[in-house]
Amino acid sequence: MSLGDYLRLLRAKGGGLTPWDIEAATTLPRGLYRQMEQRYRAIGDDASMEILAEYYAVPFEDLRWRLGWSRKALSRALHIAATNRTPITLGLWNGQEATGNVAWWDLGAVGLDTGGGLLLVVQRHAIERWDPRAPEDGVADADDPNDEDDD
Amino acid sequence: MADNLWVLREQKKISVATLASRAGLPIGLIMEYESGQRSIDPRHLNRIARALYIEEADIKLRSDPRPGAAPLERQPSRDTPREMARPYGDRPPMPRPPAGDVRPRERQMRPRLEPRPPLPARPSQIVHLEGLLKRLDLSMADLEAQIGKPLSGLDRVAISALLKDLQAKVKDAPTPVRHRAYLPESVDEFEARYLAAAQAAGDHLRFILFDGSSVEGQVIGYGPYSITARQADGAEVTLNKLALVSYTKPSGNAGPEQLQ
Repeated sequence: MSLGDYLRLLRAKGGGLTPWDIEAATTLPRGLYRQMEQRYRAIGDDASMEILAEYYAVPFEDLRWRLGWSRKALSRALHIAATNRTPITLGLWNGQEATGNVAWWDLGAVGLDTGGGLLLVVQRHAIERWDPRAPEDGVADADDPNDEDDD
Repeated sequence: MADNLWVLREQKKISVATLASRAGLPIGLIMEYESGQRSIDPRHLNRIARALYIEEADIKLRSDPRPGAAPLERQPSRDTPREMARPYGDRPPMPRPPAGDVRPRERQMRPRLEPRPPLPARPSQIVHLEGLLKRLDLSMADLEAQIGKPLSGLDRVAISALLKDLQAKVKDAPTPVRHRAYLPESVDEFEARYLAAAQAAGDHLRFILFDGSSVEGQVIGYGPYSITARQADGAEVTLNKLALVSYTKPSGNAGPEQLQ
């Protein structure tokens, strides 16, 4: 789960809070929280994550770690795995792992051919990590050439 | 107990200028009142008190000078003779030339400036030019052929005129259709297609939820955010996709047992 998805989950657990409520309750710069939550790329720095870790009472290291597993990075890895027809291993939120070839992927889910011709559909927000990871600038252009469609 | 005017003003955190403005009095007068050079005129007392939102009795009529402050220098009044007002009054005034002796000053002629050499094009002009050429689907060579001279020979003014022409051409040119890249992550049609096929075939799917439980049923509906399945006992359950980890057909070896 990316940092953005995780922050959204934490906010939902808080019950009815808006990004503006959280910005008002913390010292985060205006608009930063919304971007951290909604942008597909990694947004945020240590200072902002420390503030949020304290606000949500979660470990800072957890937020910091999730910053490295953005939705954008998952898109790159899925794109490369699908293009090269190489298997990918997805580490899921519930601790399980699924390995297979990417049959398709889209906004919400990944269709993973795990063998035998049957498909395992994994929700993207349930994916915590993956292997192999794609290089940072690997297929960014193919993924999002104008860099404007990620939210 | 009455207090010095400058103390009261600083307590209110306002400047001398603000106090003067609020009271409608000259700044210099306020400064004189504050320095104790003169007592506050009873006609002004009420105005100052109202400007500070205090009682008249709170203000000492003659303020004590601020400790360590230099004494305020008085400006010469209008009726003071010039000699007295001058700080160097002991010095005799400079003799003025007689009025008839005024000769017009000779005008100094500036040397005529050489014409400036033409300035080279700005880097921003070159960048703009490249952008316009790209939009017009022209190359630098094409443009040079059109204008009959190399672009390096054009100065800043000539490039500016050229840019103006090209901008007009770009404006008149038909807007190109923008082909957007196909972005799988901006659509959710693959999952929708899979669910549509499963619904049409009457497939049963096994859904693994975040809380570790699982639900198995026949897909009877779906949307961007939820999937509705009919379970074996006939009960229908709508699962929010946010609560789902994964799902698959339970037959064969593609079930949750594939997950390690």
